[in-house]
Parts: sequence; C-alpha cells; structure tokens
Amino acid sequence: MPPRPRPVDPPTEVIPRVEDDYDDEYYDDDEYYDDEPAAKDAPPPDSVARKAVRGVGEALITMGLVVLLFVVYEVYVTDLLSAEKQQDATAALDSEWSSNVVTPPPADPNRQSKLNLIEGKAFAKMYIPVFGNDWKFSVVEGTTDKHLEIGPGHYKDTAQPGEAGNFSIAGHRVGKGAPFNDLDLLQSCNSIVVQTQTQWYVYRVLPMRNEVAGWASNPKSKEAACTGVAPLSTTLGDAYAKTVGQEIVVPTQGEVIAPIPHQVGTTVPADKQARLLTLTTCHPRFSDKQRLIVHAIETKSYPVADGFVPPEMTEG
Amino acid sequence: MYGWIWRHLPGPLFLRVIEAVVLVVGIVALLMFVVFPWAEPKLPFNNVTTQ
Repeated sequence: MPPRPRPVDPPTEVIPRVEDDYDDEYYDDDEYYDDEPAAKDAPPPDSVARKAVRGVGEALITMGLVVLLFVVYEVYVTDLLSAEKQQDATAALDSEWSSNVVTPPPADPNRQSKLNLIEGKAFAKMYIPVFGNDWKFSVVEGTTDKHLEIGPGHYKDTAQPGEAGNFSIAGHRVGKGAPFNDLDLLQSCNSIVVQTQTQWYVYRVLPMRNEVAGWASNPKSKEAACTGVAPLSTTLGDAYAKTVGQEIVVPTQGEVIAPIPHQVGTTVPADKQARLLTLTTCHPRFSDKQRLIVHAIETKSYPVADGFVPPEMTEG
Repeated sequence: MYGWIWRHLPGPLFLRVIEAVVLVVGIVALLMFVVFPWAEPKLPFNNVTTQ
C-alpha cells in the first residue's frame, strides 16, 4: 500500500495585531483595584448615629468651655471693667472737690450740713487701713447692680457719713473690683475711714459677739485703737443688744441697716441714736445664700485740711 | 460641628488657621461683652444687698 501523502499543513496565518486601546484600559482598571487594600484602612463613611454622637459630644465640650469662660469673666474681666468705672467716678469726685466752693462749716456744730447725694455719683472716699494703703474706694449713691459696678454703694435713705443713725454701704465680694472681698477678716477696733469733701470720719468695728461679755476685762479694750469702742448694749442700752461687730444673716433681713440695727418698729429720736456704719456683702464667697454684715461706730472726726491725714490712716 | 466648620473655611491651610483663630476670638468677645453681662444679673452669685 503506497503511503498516503501527508496532508500539508496550511501555512500559519499571521494575523496582524489589532491596534486598539481596549486591553490597556482594562489593565489600568486592574491597577486601580490593586489599591484596594490601602483603601480599606480609611474609616467607613460616617453613619447618622456616629454623626449624632459626635455632635452631642462636641456640644457638651463647648458648653463646658463656655462655663469656664464665665468664671474667668466673673472673677477677672469684671474687675477690669469696674476698675475703669471706679477710676472715672473718683476722677469726677476729685474734680468736683477741687473746683467746688467749699461749703462753710455749719454755724451750729450739731447740725450736719447735708450732702447732696445724686444716684450713681460718688460722694465720699472710703479707706480700710488694715487692708493696706492701696485699699481705697469712692462710694457712690445707690445699691442697684449698675451702681455697685462702680464701687461700694450707699443704701438710699440710710444716714449720711457722720450722721446719727446707720450709714450703710453694700459692696461686691467677688469680681467687679471686689471691694469687700476680705470683709470677714476685719477685727474689732479696726478702723474704717470715710472722707467727704469737708470731713474725715473714723469708724471702728464693734466688739464681736463672743467678745461682748468679757469686754471690760479683755486686754484688747485697753488698746489705743479701741478708745471709744465698747459693746453698744453696755453704753446705749438694750435696743443695741444685737448690734455686734460682725454677723451673718439671710438676705431678707433688711433690719441690719435700720437706724438701730434689728429695731424696725421702734422710733428713737435721732439724738439718742449712735452714729453707726454698716457694711454688707455676700456670704459665703461665690454664693448669695447669706449676707456678711459688719457694724462699726464713729469714734472720731476731723475737718479736712490741706496736707492733713488722720493718724488712723497709718494703722495696720 | 468643628469638623464641618473646618471643611467650610476657604483658602489654603495657613489662611484657614488664621480664620479659625479670628472666629474663636470673635466668639469669646461676644460672650464676654454681650452675653455674660446680660446673663449675670439673672444668676444667683453676686447679690450683696439686703432687702
């Protein structure tokens, strides 16, 4: 059998390369997907719950910061604002005193010349030597918030400096210049000096409640500073039994600034009344639950003269 | 809130930082000089007078 001729392979057909970008694009895409593992590290898109929780958290932090800022405002910023107002009030008072024709001293020494008090205007200067030489404030008329921003304020309708009755002053204990910050540190016989255009008045803190009983035998009562200071119940009678150097009362006890403290109903002729000074501020510090009250009695007065400073001013 | 504000501040990074500082100072000033003086008398911290 003759061999069968082998079938001839057809020549390999060369197909020319098709020029299109399709494959390249495909590979590009593939490279994009290679990045996937890195993308997995990024957080998933925020869900609504996540956003809400974060919003609440941020709001709470913000409110905390606002409260802290308020403390800064209350304790420091109000001091700055009030210092400016106090300066203005003092400057106005100084210019008034220096320009004003000094009212001649009253012919009858028992008759006080009344000061003309205008609300919101300073009318006297106040010094507490034991608090240091730099402790001085101009006292304004009126005790509203606006007035007390300027400095210690005189309760309207209470006595004037040096008058029989109760010359009463309120002052801030925290912020706003904090004139009465250290009022709780005042001891019996410490002097509080008030200066008007024509007179210096020296008031001294009355004996404290626990000093009243043994005052006569207390060595302190013999000190020069305590001249003229004695428990009022022994010198002026029972009407003054509750008037001691320092007391803490509730805010509604307005009777502490009555002409005779704690005696509201009784009318006592002015010539039988002591010449008192009463300071009020808040207590305890940073709270308005109670009021800290300091009572003092006038022991001396001097006419204002050029270059004269009462010896009590150097105490402390 | 803070992230949202930051994303909406225009400009390059240093400009955004400046804008953020200006915002903070402005809000603090608003609180100190307007909001707190208004709110303070309504709060029971600093009453010193007797009634």
